[in-house]
Amino acid sequence: MRRSVSTILIHRRVIAMLLTAMCFTLLLVGRLAYLQIARNRFFQDKAVEQRIQRIPVEGRRGSIYDRNGIPLAVSINATSVYAIPAEVENKEQTARILAQILNLDYETVLARLNKRTASEWVKKKVSLEEAEAVIKAGLPGVGVVDSSERVYPYGSVAPQVLGFVGIDNQGLEGLELYYDKILRGTPGQAVFERDAVGRAIPGGIRGYVPGKPGADLVLTIDYYIQQVAQREVERATRETGSRLGLIIITDPKTGEILANAVYPTFDIENVLDYPADYRRNIAVTDTYEPGSTFKAVTMAVALEEGVATVNTGFFDPGYINVSGWRIRCWHRGGHGPQSFFETLQNSCNPFYAKLGMELGGEKFYPNLMKFNFGAKMGVDFPGEVPGTVHPPSSRVPLVTWANIGFGQGLTMTPLQLLAAFGAIANDGIYSVPHYVREIITDSGTTAPELPAQRRVISSATAAIVKEALRRVITRGSAKRAEAPGYFVAGKTGTAQVVEDGRYSHSKTVTSFAGFAPVHDPQMAALLVLWEPQGAFFGGIIAAPVFSRLTQQVMPFLGVERQAMADSGVPQVTVPDVVGLPVQEGMEALQDARFQVELIGEGQRIIGQAPEGGAAAGVGTEVYVFTDTDYLPASSDLPTPFGV
Amino acid sequence: MEVPRRYWRYLDWPLILAVAALIAIGFVVIYSASYSQLTQAGISPFYYVTRQFLGLVLGLAAVVVIISIDYRAWKRWTRLIYIASIGMLGLLLVMGTTVFGSQRWFRIGPMSIQPSELAKLALVLVLAKHLEGREQLEGWNIWRAFALAAVPAGLIILQPDLGTAAIFAGLAFAMLFFAGADLRKLGLCAAVLAVAAMAAIYVSWKGWIPIIKPYQLSRLLVFLDPYADRNNAGWNIIQSMIAIGSGGFAGKGIFSGTQSRLHFLPANHTDFVFSVIAEEFGFIGTLVVLVLYAVVIWRGLRIAMLAKDMYGLLLAAGAVSIFFFHLIINVGMTLGMMPITGLPLPFITAGGSTLLTSLMAIGIILNVGLRRQKIMF
Repeated sequence: MRRSVSTILIHRRVIAMLLTAMCFTLLLVGRLAYLQIARNRFFQDKAVEQRIQRIPVEGRRGSIYDRNGIPLAVSINATSVYAIPAEVENKEQTARILAQILNLDYETVLARLNKRTASEWVKKKVSLEEAEAVIKAGLPGVGVVDSSERVYPYGSVAPQVLGFVGIDNQGLEGLELYYDKILRGTPGQAVFERDAVGRAIPGGIRGYVPGKPGADLVLTIDYYIQQVAQREVERATRETGSRLGLIIITDPKTGEILANAVYPTFDIENVLDYPADYRRNIAVTDTYEPGSTFKAVTMAVALEEGVATVNTGFFDPGYINVSGWRIRCWHRGGHGPQSFFETLQNSCNPFYAKLGMELGGEKFYPNLMKFNFGAKMGVDFPGEVPGTVHPPSSRVPLVTWANIGFGQGLTMTPLQLLAAFGAIANDGIYSVPHYVREIITDSGTTAPELPAQRRVISSATAAIVKEALRRVITRGSAKRAEAPGYFVAGKTGTAQVVEDGRYSHSKTVTSFAGFAPVHDPQMAALLVLWEPQGAFFGGIIAAPVFSRLTQQVMPFLGVERQAMADSGVPQVTVPDVVGLPVQEGMEALQDARFQVELIGEGQRIIGQAPEGGAAAGVGTEVYVFTDTDYLPASSDLPTPFGV
Repeated sequence: MEVPRRYWRYLDWPLILAVAALIAIGFVVIYSASYSQLTQAGISPFYYVTRQFLGLVLGLAAVVVIISIDYRAWKRWTRLIYIASIGMLGLLLVMGTTVFGSQRWFRIGPMSIQPSELAKLALVLVLAKHLEGREQLEGWNIWRAFALAAVPAGLIILQPDLGTAAIFAGLAFAMLFFAGADLRKLGLCAAVLAVAAMAAIYVSWKGWIPIIKPYQLSRLLVFLDPYADRNNAGWNIIQSMIAIGSGGFAGKGIFSGTQSRLHFLPANHTDFVFSVIAEEFGFIGTLVVLVLYAVVIWRGLRIAMLAKDMYGLLLAAGAVSIFFFHLIINVGMTLGMMPITGLPLPFITAGGSTLLTSLMAIGIILNVGLRRQKIMF
């Protein structure tokens, strides 16, 4: 049946339409109430937020000082020119003027002004004259703002340790990276209100919150000692034709690193001109096989574990058999009968292989752990590596422990080895080496948190090993390491470089680890030379460097040269030549029958070692420092700690 | 032309006053929304207001002409008007002015004419004539009604202007509904249309046949999640909602809307004019505007019910439907409830031809009201 269209139906439908329309309108009202009343706060914040432009203003980056307060890395104010493209009126003309003032390419400037960004850097770090010219030009939409720049008043001092910063003053490597959060200031901000296109609104909100400067670091590095180390490592590396050289000097009582010099090095102001490899602080980020220097550690562990005593003797036939392997002594035919101390003087491999074997994994490994071998020490430096020591297991054969006994088959960072020598020097108390002494903030000075010092061997054991290391210098293989009057103790080492899984016949790593003076060690040092040409043995090339190093460093540590009771050399008072012209001073010293070693190319003597008035043997070398080398020539450098 | 006395009595004054109030609000908001943009461009701040005034004058003249002729006399012109409107839409595709990627306007001197606006009125006229007096609405009549809507809608899709085309479909349904068409049949048609629309979207989305352009698709769907494309398609919706929400209960005050003043809100005197009202006059302001529209719809439908004949009813109800669809789609868009379309808000959006055609629609409604039956129930 078909329904006819009735008026009632039609009217009902119109009313239905009316009700539908009212329902939809109410829906809109409801939505409006939700947005405008319930969520009013939210949208108000959003509206404000998108009108507010915030330009971060960096807080000045903290400075880095050496332990004496000498500024090594400092942030100074620099001025940068920026543009707000939307506010620049005549882009071509503005670009032309800016290009002329700032000595930039016109097209480059124009391209920046044509960017659709809120703000754009035209040139960072401009000179004062350039900044003034830009301000005087009064270009709309162009302004200058303060930023900061890293400078190095004393040049490249321990650049591998310091590291460097990027264009935005962020730490990229080294201590600049490790302590970035501390050095980096709290950024402030410039605030202004803008429209959708990015133009600042006249009469709108404007504010400026200055940044808070970052904390300053005082390093354990001593600028003067570092200079000595840098010069000596360069000289040693070049004279021996080595690929790479390293000198680290620490205070064994505290673990403070006084110097850390790597050669080849780089100019910290022009980082990018050098290969990235030069930037590595190989003291911490690279490992090597220590070789014979490690025998001191083996000796200490063997004494601790009762595997050997001072009375243990050894007959060296020139080799030792370890479960089918024959380990040869470096001395063909062997050393024959030796006392306990003589094994170290002779650096007798079979004896230390025997000690390693007798200790075995069960006794050797836990002691190595105590010395942090195979583990990160917790040095305050980025990229520390742990080195490799295999934990004892059925798969590690006995010969491995025999090899470790004389310093092969395990790897470590140079700093790990030096820390072990530091513990021996410091009567058995181990300190983790570190680079930073103090952190200076507005609210005061704090020391960075360090792993606690701890005893790793008894003081009796330490005393025996110290005596053994002293005899290496007086009677053994490293006589040339002695610095007269400073009682050096130490050990040479020569290890073959591992290439493609086997020991190379031609490439070696030569090193010397030691400390002085033996009865109250003030410095511990390690010299490592990678792949020297010619003479391979540490005693020949590394030991004399240690002697030179000790003689130059000791005066800075306030250690006086002591007369050697049994030397028989006549003792003479050293004349005081500080302040004299070079020629005059040299003559005075030569008249007193000293040998003179001149350091630097200046005209005037500013320091000497040993100091004037001290007693020294006739014919001893006296180091004379002249003014260009040690102290900076210019006088307008920032004073230490901003005083 | 002498105006009989009953004209004044039967004129629907609430309707007229509501429309007058909406137009007045329009003038204020257009001035406020375009002021900073125009002065910055070095143009008189009254630029849009002047053009709107021109539209108002022409519109009032049109109203006077429309109400002075009995609507029943239009029937014989209906066919001509319809064909003329289609002709204009066709001509537009050949020689129209392209704005924002679509051809919607003829530019004649200072005025721009949007033929699709006039075509809506033409469709109301032709459908009213087609559906009037049919005792039974057979399937054939229903399909024919849709065909009448489909021709102009198709031409408008080619512009392309999907929003307006959708209104043509809506008008066809509304008029059939008022004419008493069987609801099941209407439902079937709606289902067919929905499936066709979804198929079109699907093949375009898959890139098989580009019926809908990619930008249209993204504008169509972005309201579901404006933040997915916050700097492009989503920008308008986000900025509109920030404008509306930050307006709060009482608004930021006239000329103080930061969203429109600082150019965060695009098309602030045209498509997003409602957002400006919401920002500057707050919830109170939007409530007043919506109540005024409710009055227009209520009085318009009341006139439809009182109409002397089916033809008059369909004319008035059809004209009201145009306002209703525009209101829902435009305001829904600013509130993030509807896809972005370029549909104006009647009486308020700046644009001479929009105001002119809206007033012509009001003229049609008033005309039906003037010649209503004398007995009221």
